[in-house]
Amino acid sequence: MSKVIVVTSGKGGVGKTTSSAAFAAGLASKGYKTAVIDFDVGLRNLDLIMGVERRVVYDFVNVINGESTLKQALIKDKRVDNLYILPASQTRDKDALNKEGVESVINELKADGFDYIVCDSPAGIEKGAFMALYFADEAIVVTNPEVSSVRDSDRILGILQSRSKVAEEGGTVKEHLLITRYSPERVEGGDMLSKEDIQEILSIPLIGVIPESGTVLQASNSGNPVIMDKESKAGQAYMDVVSRFLGENIPLRFVEAEEKKGFFKKLFG
Amino acid sequence: MQLKGEMSMLNVLHIQDNDVSEICSKLEQKRDEAPQFFLQSPIVLDGSELSGNALEFDFSALKTGLLDLGFIPIGVRNFPPAANNIIRESGWAIMRDQQQTPRTAENKIETTEKSEPATPETVEEASQTKDNKPENQANTAVESNRSDIRSAMTVDRPVRSGQQVYAANADMTVLAPTSAGSEIMADGSIHIYGALRGRVLAGARGNESARIYCQSLQAELIAIAGRYQLLDESDTTLKGKPAMIRLEGEKIVIEAL
Repeated sequence: MSKVIVVTSGKGGVGKTTSSAAFAAGLASKGYKTAVIDFDVGLRNLDLIMGVERRVVYDFVNVINGESTLKQALIKDKRVDNLYILPASQTRDKDALNKEGVESVINELKADGFDYIVCDSPAGIEKGAFMALYFADEAIVVTNPEVSSVRDSDRILGILQSRSKVAEEGGTVKEHLLITRYSPERVEGGDMLSKEDIQEILSIPLIGVIPESGTVLQASNSGNPVIMDKESKAGQAYMDVVSRFLGENIPLRFVEAEEKKGFFKKLFG
Repeated sequence: MQLKGEMSMLNVLHIQDNDVSEICSKLEQKRDEAPQFFLQSPIVLDGSELSGNALEFDFSALKTGLLDLGFIPIGVRNFPPAANNIIRESGWAIMRDQQQTPRTAENKIETTEKSEPATPETVEEASQTKDNKPENQANTAVESNRSDIRSAMTVDRPVRSGQQVYAANADMTVLAPTSAGSEIMADGSIHIYGALRGRVLAGARGNESARIYCQSLQAELIAIAGRYQLLDESDTTLKGKPAMIRLEGEKIVIEAL
């Protein structure tokens, strides 16, 4: 049974595209046929983050308008088997999306045997974000430990539970909280919202915490989803998220502030 | 086409005598005190306190006068049925009669001059972003609707920022926390088995005995039967604690639960 998962947040710049790329790559690396679709028509980033920007011939809007087939537009990832990317258009905007078109693309992907369809949502609560979440079975709500991000995530959760297709049919979209750019030192210092604070406000189950990491920028620059960087803490945290999503019970890592090492400890390990 | 239910604050003009020109000149004064609020505001004409003869009331003149002053005449209510023909001929719509709250016995639109921001004038359904800019506040006459409380509405999921839930003619029970930026409204009482964070409006149609109960008081704005208070402007010690809120006269009273 294929599942459609939307990666959304409301707030911009919190890590949706980074997370979509990492999550999709992680699922594919576990053997599941995965497609990741960029819904940010006009401001596409997913292809850049995934390093396939020079391979884009046709895009999501072309497929919706019948100007190309889905097979022509899908880009097969060269590093990870089972991973396919459907880029957005850069020249058009979100008005080019419509429910019927999006539905038909998703149905075609399902018919094609895709296990997971990851929808990378744009920021906001208007058409682009709405199209990305409308057909979702599950949602990963990406939130920074910061008040405006939490407020916006709350808003998008409201929209998910009232205006998605599943909600219209009386069901519930399964929600997962993904906290990104977490700094345990700042949390302990009292500067930053803790994961408990965020969970208290949003009341949805936590699927993972991604620590703030310089490797994320390196990953974007190199066009390799950060999950492929085995040394990176963020990459490892994303791998944990994928495992938890698939049912494994893994304790949270990278959520405690590191002990301050004394001078000699630092010298001798 | 969509027919949506909205709740709006209406200005209700209670008249006591037939002197239309006097009424209009007082209205002009009122309007000039707060033009931003009163211009283009809807007016309902209420005849329950009319001591003169309704059949002699010059409805046409008042309608013209109101329009000239920049008000929008919506309709009339609580006039004797004998006057219906005259009313219709004058172009006023006849609305359903409603019972009075005793405190609104005045021959003018009531305003209370406070410096707090106004309660929102219209409450729309879900998705649109609301304009919450402070305007001149007017405590418009919210008529009490003493219809029976029939059933309770239950909400078992968190009420998220930007969402509104309204229990018409009923109490509201929420079994989950409510978020900052949400609105919970009921004609009856409101019970929240969780943290109350957004706006809460009980007794929305004027039921002054409505109460609000919550497990953790973190609300932004509390209102009962049209009287409201910002939590930040109250000196209660119960912020973050279980609380019961009721109306005592004109005052919002917050007590420990």
